[in-house]
Amino acid sequence: MSSETLDLARDIISNYSGRTLKIMEVCGTHTHQIFKYGIRKLLSSDISLISGPGCPVCVTPTGFIDEAVMLALEKNATIATFGDLVRVPGSEQSLALARSKGAKINIVYSPLDAVEYAKNNPDEEVVFLAVGFETTTPSAALAVKNAKEKGISNFSILGANKTMMNAYRMLKDSADAFLYPGHVCAITGLKEYDELKDEGIYGVVTGFTPKEILGALAMTVKKLEKGEAFEENCYKRVVTYEGSPSALKLIEETFDSCDSEWRGLGIIKDSGLCLKKKYSDFDARKKFNLPEITGHPNPHCRCGEVLQGKCTPKDCKVFGKGCTPEHPIGACMVSGEGACSAFYKYGGDF
Amino acid sequence: MEEKVITLAHGAGGRQTSDVINNIFKKNFANENLTADDAAVLPMDAGKIAFTTDGFIVSPALFPGGNIGKLSICGTVNDLSCMGAKPLYLSCAFVIEEGFPIETLELIAESMAKTAKEAGVRIVAGDTKVAGKGQVDGVFITTTGIGKIQEGVNTAGDLAKPGDAVIVTGDVGRHGCTILVARDSYGIDADVTSDCAPLWDAVKTMIDTTKDIHVIRDATRGGVGTVLYEIAEQSSVGIRLEKENIPVDDKVKGVCGMLGLEPLYLACEGRLVVFAPKEHAPAIVEALRKGKYTQNAAIIGEVTKENVGKVIMKTEIGSETILPAPGGELLPRIC
Repeated sequence: MSSETLDLARDIISNYSGRTLKIMEVCGTHTHQIFKYGIRKLLSSDISLISGPGCPVCVTPTGFIDEAVMLALEKNATIATFGDLVRVPGSEQSLALARSKGAKINIVYSPLDAVEYAKNNPDEEVVFLAVGFETTTPSAALAVKNAKEKGISNFSILGANKTMMNAYRMLKDSADAFLYPGHVCAITGLKEYDELKDEGIYGVVTGFTPKEILGALAMTVKKLEKGEAFEENCYKRVVTYEGSPSALKLIEETFDSCDSEWRGLGIIKDSGLCLKKKYSDFDARKKFNLPEITGHPNPHCRCGEVLQGKCTPKDCKVFGKGCTPEHPIGACMVSGEGACSAFYKYGGDF
Repeated sequence: MEEKVITLAHGAGGRQTSDVINNIFKKNFANENLTADDAAVLPMDAGKIAFTTDGFIVSPALFPGGNIGKLSICGTVNDLSCMGAKPLYLSCAFVIEEGFPIETLELIAESMAKTAKEAGVRIVAGDTKVAGKGQVDGVFITTTGIGKIQEGVNTAGDLAKPGDAVIVTGDVGRHGCTILVARDSYGIDADVTSDCAPLWDAVKTMIDTTKDIHVIRDATRGGVGTVLYEIAEQSSVGIRLEKENIPVDDKVKGVCGMLGLEPLYLACEGRLVVFAPKEHAPAIVEALRKGKYTQNAAIIGEVTKENVGKVIMKTEIGSETILPAPGGELLPRIC
């Protein structure tokens, strides 16, 4: 982006005046970058940025953590997980607390590492906590396929994978437009986003550098001012109309669509992914015969409302007092990409 | 051939202890002040001395750009230098794990000797202990140092003043990034080397340019970001950075980008953060850029009356943001 274009984009978002525009950034990485680069401070007071439900850790419901804790402590499984989930509070305890009681919790950077661990430790039952959107699901699919092909029977996943389309539909009234998550779009392509446009849901596919975010915001403001239906791709260096056929094929071959619970949003129809029947041996819920668990989040935590833009983290009574990155009460404070964590780290007055 | 290793007998005080001391330490560290007596006897001029100590437990002990031995000299030499003190004498105490390869110990001692020579400092006292297998990890080293504070120099963490420029003496975060990659926990392959270096020459260059320098601090654990917060608090001032002026190696940027890390919070082992009146800053930087380890020195910001205790950063898109205050330990055992 040339410095003239940068100046122009900054002018558009700083000098906008008119009806209040509500723009929701859906992706947690966008939330983080927007705070890190002080983009909110550049916005006209007539533009309201809302941090949406795009951080996989933040939308994972309390009951999921309870299931993982039960697997670790009662079923004696070895949990393999991305690091952030370890500190998310469950109804009674987090995986970190379970670990201090002797639960075996391994941090991995890829589900394939969990399969490898299972292969090398045949005496342990290894359960990978599969959370995330279209960006991370292909690697979970690959892990399950690998385990099946190699006959690694002591590996399974506790699934909470989610898809974005029906979440946009549910959040239609929360925002005038979305900054669409560039990396999710890189996998899914833009076909479904055309459908959203036809349903009156608008947005701009957004990259992750501060300049890309600024450009996408300016584009959104201009489009909303015009008042026409729109769907724009401002991340063309990565996102194509077709998306990634190989990643989509992997997901399709491994998972079926199902209803899924989102923290704060409740159950959204067809917004989750469950293992196909032929992979049911790798479904930890079935393998360990887990009961239905209803989670009980801390009643003071307002993560659910934060995720829908109904309140900001600062409206929450425990924000920055009982709930800090060192001692999180809600998931949005745990993840580096959560809105509460970003507000806490970057939101101070100066 | 069987690898020669340190055994518990090497720490028992007998002949084998003497062998290690003579063949490894004395051989490398020899100087007229290092004797076989119980304590070193040292001449002292009038004036003030600086005195400091530091322990080193880095893992892995050998890493690209250095090793625990070089680090143990640089760490203490740099701490003395930050007070405007010319490093003169060091002691070093080793705790070595049973089974540690003697060849590696030799390499570490050679590296210490070479670094000490470069820094103009003498190793005049030492101690060797051997701990049982598993009681320490490899080798731990503690160095203690004495330096002579140069006439007219007065630096301290509470002396930064509004109007001071903030200078770093080179690109930030390289040591932390090197250790991270060397541990291979993330499967990232990057050709990064530690910035580990003795910095007395750099400090001398600065004080030869002007004695009017308020703060010099070496950015080790916690990186430059932590130093900035420490000084903002100790001096009750604000700090405003220009993000685009902060030197970061491209490879470090790449690794940080992948892992979501802030280079300002990665450890350095050969970088100083300097606060000096704005009018002296260009001359200081110009002089530093002629130095061996300080070619990328840069003015990265200024001290403000406003925003006491905070570090504000102007970003490349013209916005302003807070540099988040330092959090928990990012990486254990980096130094």
